[in-house]
Amino acid sequence: MNSSILHTDKLCKTFSNGGVQQHVIKNLDLEIYKGDFTVIMGSSGSGKSTLLYALSGMDKPTLGNVYFGEEDISNYSNDELAVFRRNHCGFVFQSIYLLDNMNVFDNVMTAALALQKNSPQLVKKAEELLKKVGITEETWKKYPNQLSGGERQRVGIVRAVINEPQILFADEPTGSLNSASSTDVMDIFTELHSKGQSIVMVTHDIKTALHGNRVIFISDGTVIGEYEMPLYNTDDLKKRREGLQSFLDRMGW
Amino acid sequence: MGKITRLSLANIKKHKFEFISLLTLVMVCMLLVGSSLGAIWGIRNIFPNVMEKTGSYENYIFILEKNYNKEYENILKQHSEVETVTAVDTLWSMNTGYIDKNGKESALYMAFITADNEAKISKSPMDSTLSSEEIAAIEHPIYAPYILQDSMGYKAGDTFDITYGTRKFSFTIAGFYETMMFNEMISGLKMIVSEKDYHILSGLLPKYKAVLYNDNQGQGGYELMDSFLEECEDYSRMDVKSGLVSITYGDMKLMVTSSAELLLNLMIVMAVIIFISVVVIIRYRIANDIKEQIVNIGILEALGYTSKEITRSYVIEYLIMAAGGVLIGTGGCFLLTPVLLRMGELISAHRGCGSSNPLMIFLTGIVILVLVGMTAFIRARMVRKYPPVQAFRKGQGDHRFGREFFPLRKTKYNVHLRLALKGFFQNFKQNIGLTICITISALTVVFSFIISSFFGDGLNTIASISGIEMSDLHLEIMPYADGDVLADELEEMPEIRKATPTSGYNTLITISDFNEIMLPVAFSSFDETENIFPMEGRFPEHDNEIMLNNQIATVKKIKVGDSLTLEYLNVKKSYLVTGIVTSVTNGNMNLYITEDGMKRINPTYKPDVIEVYLEEGIDAQEFRKTLTEKYGRSLSDAASSKAENGTYEERIRAEAEQQIAELMASNGATHIEYSIRFGDTIISGNSSNFVVSAITNMGEIMRTQLGSSCTAIRIVTAVFMVISAVVVMIILFILMESAIRRDRREFGIMKGLGYTSRELMFQLACRIVPSAVFSVIIGTVIGVTMTDLLTSIIGVVKVNIPQVIVLDIVMLIFCFVCAYVGARKIKTISVYELMTE
Repeated sequence: MNSSILHTDKLCKTFSNGGVQQHVIKNLDLEIYKGDFTVIMGSSGSGKSTLLYALSGMDKPTLGNVYFGEEDISNYSNDELAVFRRNHCGFVFQSIYLLDNMNVFDNVMTAALALQKNSPQLVKKAEELLKKVGITEETWKKYPNQLSGGERQRVGIVRAVINEPQILFADEPTGSLNSASSTDVMDIFTELHSKGQSIVMVTHDIKTALHGNRVIFISDGTVIGEYEMPLYNTDDLKKRREGLQSFLDRMGW
Repeated sequence: MGKITRLSLANIKKHKFEFISLLTLVMVCMLLVGSSLGAIWGIRNIFPNVMEKTGSYENYIFILEKNYNKEYENILKQHSEVETVTAVDTLWSMNTGYIDKNGKESALYMAFITADNEAKISKSPMDSTLSSEEIAAIEHPIYAPYILQDSMGYKAGDTFDITYGTRKFSFTIAGFYETMMFNEMISGLKMIVSEKDYHILSGLLPKYKAVLYNDNQGQGGYELMDSFLEECEDYSRMDVKSGLVSITYGDMKLMVTSSAELLLNLMIVMAVIIFISVVVIIRYRIANDIKEQIVNIGILEALGYTSKEITRSYVIEYLIMAAGGVLIGTGGCFLLTPVLLRMGELISAHRGCGSSNPLMIFLTGIVILVLVGMTAFIRARMVRKYPPVQAFRKGQGDHRFGREFFPLRKTKYNVHLRLALKGFFQNFKQNIGLTICITISALTVVFSFIISSFFGDGLNTIASISGIEMSDLHLEIMPYADGDVLADELEEMPEIRKATPTSGYNTLITISDFNEIMLPVAFSSFDETENIFPMEGRFPEHDNEIMLNNQIATVKKIKVGDSLTLEYLNVKKSYLVTGIVTSVTNGNMNLYITEDGMKRINPTYKPDVIEVYLEEGIDAQEFRKTLTEKYGRSLSDAASSKAENGTYEERIRAEAEQQIAELMASNGATHIEYSIRFGDTIISGNSSNFVVSAITNMGEIMRTQLGSSCTAIRIVTAVFMVISAVVVMIILFILMESAIRRDRREFGIMKGLGYTSRELMFQLACRIVPSAVFSVIIGTVIGVTMTDLLTSIIGVVKVNIPQVIVLDIVMLIFCFVCAYVGARKIKTISVYELMTE
């Protein structure tokens, strides 16, 4: 078992809407391990995205704590959380969220320069990463609305990993992509994971979830089950799928 | 309520801050323009109202009694423009002063007239809160112009001490009255005194004959006056212009309302500046709002709303805002206009304002509404560019795919600055509007600052452009006294640093090339002067050289190197103009000439004034008393100091001084010595203490004449600076808020990437820096140029460049801080909310 990179202690998240309180995460204890590709699954409204944002410092918990290593980040101010995110985290979103007013290359560099000083190495790294995910040089000067969904998400992944984050968070990264693009994107995730990248991904798609090595199932704001798999591509895909399906069936999926 | 109005109201509800800010700016515009235009109407009526009420004559000329001849009135009557003429006895002096309520002596020119003579020239009633019994009981009653009550706070029954040399005359204010003649601090105040007091004063003060005439509302002007004076000189062969004081109908009219009108016009200029900002903000706001709500607009269009209806909703939104501002502003106008009218009365020193003109207020409101409506309509028409499908794509057609500004791969230093510059160029068009607003505000601030520091630096700066010597004491000497000898004697005194003989106001010469009467300022060498600076050319050195004041040189287009012919009592000589001098005193009459140059045209000329410069630390007021005692005794002093009950020696000395004074005054003796022996005692003395007729402190006079104007200018310019700053602040707040709303998604994403709120606020604030730097530089250049142009007529107003640079830096910091604080709403953008939208 790898060492823990992130863990929660009685994490609660409550939303208040018109005086009605909605407890989305309830006393949740969870540990994320370094080098794992953790997949968080659950039905709609189970609180999986809320959990991802609480874990990643995008949002603050209502009660309880989130520890990054030994550091409690739950009491950080918004600006401290921003610094935490740029130092340790990378994000890939379903809606991708590229900056529309910047071209592909600047979208990547915006994230890179938030943490690092510019250097020829950094530019070279951005170029290499873009090439690696199949974004060719002629696309670099294009704006997001000139790209296909798959291209946009690949740029999003490069933006997320340019700073070599200790942990990469992904919220339904293939949610808005077609099948071919989804496969491309998940192949990139798999490759990143194979090189030791810790990943936490929220998905409701079994095919996507198969790329992980640990699946956490949450329901009604609490973890109700956990399933571990060998590394992707190291076992039979059919058996892997059946095993996961069986786990999900048990969880009431 | 129609569906379009509902859309407008919904938009207003969403943007309360911008709505209130714009409404406030429109309200201020309405208030400033409406009340100024409303009041200007009434203020312009002050002059005709007061003229009618007082039945004043339209022109007056004060001629020294010794130069006057009864025939002058007939000469004047022969001019066809002249309708009626009268002449009365008056006294007028530049050496009078008064003891103010704090016991401090202040210089103030004063004219004196008896009630009977006043009745001949004006029908203004005396206004008093005292009963006739109380007035009758006053030993030395005096009636003063209303200015003494309205601006200086005196009331009937107060003591009013008038000084002349070492003498003090204590009067009691019996009441006040309205007058057109001598009713302000520059030419002085006209006081009505009793026959008895007039007689006492006439033993000391210069006696004048006031010649008053009507010329059908100024038809004759200066030409008539100059021609009349020439004719008088031709007739009498006397120097009629010596010691002359005159004012024409045009001068009076200008003096009465020009200051108040200038102030109101400045208020209008300020309002126009604010309104330009409002227009820029409306354009910016609508453009941003359309971009922000492009999808909603697409939905509305898809639902069947036409682009005209959406345009109309914007027009209605801004008309509601403008109507609110206009309505509140109109209410304010009806409160402010009476205040402005009263202020106009105080500035003009007259009571007789007309009423305000409400029509102008309503017209202003309508014009503002029309302009706001038009601005909103023209800008909102850009909705037409977005048919529904394009709107759904967030106006994709509007995206720039052109040149990429500041690519991040080339970032060298600070990524935030580079991102800010990127943002600046991506919103270049909108920054043009911001640049215009800041430029106008910057030039207002720079202009106000230069003028404020100019008038704020005590009176030293004004003194530097006065064009006359600002010595500590200005000694007018008796015609028989030898100025050079007295100056040498004065310089022996340890308190005196320098004593320089010069010319006074007793000789006026004419530039015959264009028949302009000038006041010569003569020094044996201009190197001795400390306060006269040629702005062009050099001092006159030879007897055929002169310098001119800048105003006359500008108006008459005279350049250095030109030759002019001067005329004095029919003697004409040609002179070379060697320099142009900055000069704001003596009504553009100063002409600079050497003593030899004066003698060339007037062989009998000799200095009649000595400018005395004291050693540092010597109290001019105190030392004036010493000098007056030593050199400034008069016939009247001698008469009044007769020591009836003194010792024998004192009585002898008093009698001897009385004899000397009479001999000098009536027989023109220039030097008298006496020696009387009784018993073993010898009493001796001479006429040396009768050589100075008056001693004035020019600094004090300047303070009285210009002090309140300087204060008013400082206050007005300070208000302008504050208004400009507030306008810039509001503009930046609105722009920042709009930018955050428009780029909310981008800022959310950047927060998600790890940029802190402070970094994003910094980036956003930095986006305005290029506009601000450009605007401040342009504003400064225009401001300085404008100051030069506006003040060129009085000469060179030296701009303190280091101070202006510091001001520019302060303005830039202010803009940056406003933008930074205005961008604080970035803090409220939640990354989580953005992700889960």
